Amino acid sequence: MEILSPEKIIGSFKAALGGDFIDSKIYQKEVAVKKNIFTSIWIHVKREAFRKAVEHICELQNCPHLSIISSSDRGNDVELIYHFTIYYGHHLQELSLGLRVNVPKNDLKIPTITDIIPGALFTERETQEMMGMEVVGIPDNRRLFLPDDFPEGIYPWRKDETGPEDLLRVLPGRQQKWQ
Amino acid sequence: MAVSKGTEKYTIPVGPIHPALKEPIRLDLGIDGEEIVDVDVIVGQVHRGIEWLGMNRNNAIQNIYLAERVCGICNICHPFAYVMAVEQAAGITPPERAEYIRVITAEMERIHSHLLWAGIAAHEIGFDTVFYLVWRVREEIMDLIEYVTGNRVTKAMFQIGGVRRDITEEQFPRIRKSLDYYKSIFNQLKTVFLDDRTIRMRTKNVGILETEDALKLLVVGPTARASGVPKDVRQDQAYSAYADLDIKAITPDVLTGAVIGDVYDRIIVRLLEVKQSIEIIERCLAEMPPGSILAEPKIAKLLNALKKTEGEGVGRAEAPRGEVIHYVRLEAGRETLAIWKIRAPTYTNLMAIPIILKGGQIADVPIAFASIDPCMSCTNRVVVVDQKRNKKSLLTNKDLHELSIEKTRKLKC
Amino acid sequence: MSLKAFKRALWVYHLNTGSCNGCDIEILAVLTPRYDVERFGIVLVGSPRHADVLLVTGPVSRQMAPRLKRVYEQVPDPKVVLQVGSCGMEGGVFYESYNLVGPVDQIIPVDVYVPGCPPRPEAIIEAVVKAWVKLERAAEQRIA
Repeated sequence: MEILSPEKIIGSFKAALGGDFIDSKIYQKEVAVKKNIFTSIWIHVKREAFRKAVEHICELQNCPHLSIISSSDRGNDVELIYHFTIYYGHHLQELSLGLRVNVPKNDLKIPTITDIIPGALFTERETQEMMGMEVVGIPDNRRLFLPDDFPEGIYPWRKDETGPEDLLRVLPGRQQKWQ
Repeated sequence: MAVSKGTEKYTIPVGPIHPALKEPIRLDLGIDGEEIVDVDVIVGQVHRGIEWLGMNRNNAIQNIYLAERVCGICNICHPFAYVMAVEQAAGITPPERAEYIRVITAEMERIHSHLLWAGIAAHEIGFDTVFYLVWRVREEIMDLIEYVTGNRVTKAMFQIGGVRRDITEEQFPRIRKSLDYYKSIFNQLKTVFLDDRTIRMRTKNVGILETEDALKLLVVGPTARASGVPKDVRQDQAYSAYADLDIKAITPDVLTGAVIGDVYDRIIVRLLEVKQSIEIIERCLAEMPPGSILAEPKIAKLLNALKKTEGEGVGRAEAPRGEVIHYVRLEAGRETLAIWKIRAPTYTNLMAIPIILKGGQIADVPIAFASIDPCMSCTNRVVVVDQKRNKKSLLTNKDLHELSIEKTRKLKC
Repeated sequence: MSLKAFKRALWVYHLNTGSCNGCDIEILAVLTPRYDVERFGIVLVGSPRHADVLLVTGPVSRQMAPRLKRVYEQVPDPKVVLQVGSCGMEGGVFYESYNLVGPVDQIIPVDVYVPGCPPRPEAIIEAVVKAWVKLERAAEQRIA
């Protein structure tokens, strides 16, 4: 496995995904006294090519490290970012790779990647319960952090009417909920 | 992984309580005789909705103090990662002196956390004397932390763009005195933990995690390094002053020449990291650059600047338990954060628990579970399902603990 | 202060209702050789049925509220409830989150409050002394 430069990595994604590749961004910054460089790459792909993109990352690095899946509610769609890192174990060569996917709110489905990366199970379960996203093919469908008697249909990370605002407990002595 | 439905078992929700602290968690074990065949981990008792609070109620600076209280033991690494993420989003660069002070406080926390873990691990085997000894030794670093930052547990050192308190030249001799104390007793600590016959018998070849499994399950921190995977954010990615010091990830073959991935290897990795932290602090004190400690000292100006920025950032730091990652997105005109996502290291290490516990005995559950250094710990009562005899029985934590001590006594004779 | 009702030392049961562990490690530090409350015979026990004092930390999360009630009922009388940390009092930094069901004294009666985030071990020792005095008085009134 050779270590490619950020530009070459983006080039390989464009070649592998073709028209489904939307956008990319490289962020670099000098750090501390010796001015070593901190690099992170952001790649935006379409949902149809999502699994192919993950398989391509596995070709760049054997067993890539997936830190977490973050999701944000942007009104009409939900943006998922899969935070990968590649080239760990090599001194100062690790790159953060953020894979961005947009999912429309009226069709909240995303395929699972637990067959490629078994360690993604917990974070997919959390995305399911907190955002209301359905992960197709997930091996374990249970809730992770929310209690079993938490009402269905309320998703803490959403900013629309399904947010948990009604569940806030107002302390005794206060007149009304804060805004 | 759920306990197999064919045997008609159901599990009773277990209390959270462990007399020796830490957070609630529930473990459902399926057993065949004395051997564990299936494990289910159920979490969620400590969910406090911190990310929601950060996105809807607090502004970006108040979130630093909220991030500190995610965990009381790894108290520096969460604000560290959060502050780095916000600085990336807003384009603020902290001064070099602040980076070195951040690293010094982070390494002091690592020493305190590893000594805490060593005491708890000894307690789980039944060695209460070592537990008290190690926690007495730990008080020295707690005094040092209080001298430098002002408090024992929640330190409030971080600010967006730098640190809040300086470490001046007059404080250096006191810091060096504490480090010399630890250097002088380090060999004693090593002998107590690594050369003791009983600890060897209880921890060698117990709770093994192979390298292949550690890679596939995305395990982080000392748990991964003990299984031969050299993942260490301080070594791999250039962040803060670690980029200037050449840190090397410690794997157990440094001491023993081989990597097995059992509990003994995890003890080795954590003890050697204490020594590494002492050396890092000494280097930082020697190479500390002069200058200011804050990029923007006026808080009102900082808050205004943050309100107007738009951007996103990812901050990764190496906590005593592994990699911590914070993702932050700021939107112009919005005082609270637009998106905040936290992931603590035990989140991923928990997925390795079924493999670590499988094939072992019930008496090994306390030490094997504590060896990943969970920041949400052992259960009070564990429901044990005997698949052959189709019986259910409840073991309290006292029973588990006594089973563990019984095994030590049997091994000693 | 004479110990008429209590011929032996207090046994403490510690319950974590979802805290960040800060108060818990300060409670353990109270038992270790620096602050050493074990010289008075105070130990942590493994079962609520053996305890005299119930030590509660943490803001009460939704899952832990029924367990808190059940444990409180299992501790035999006379008992004292000590609540350590700011989060159990009004929520601390987590006030009014969606998964918290309110301060501890809305669920069980509390006798001694120890504010702080986390409180110092010295404050916890003083709280145990206050609890002891209260327990003595309560036991005397029942005997006399």
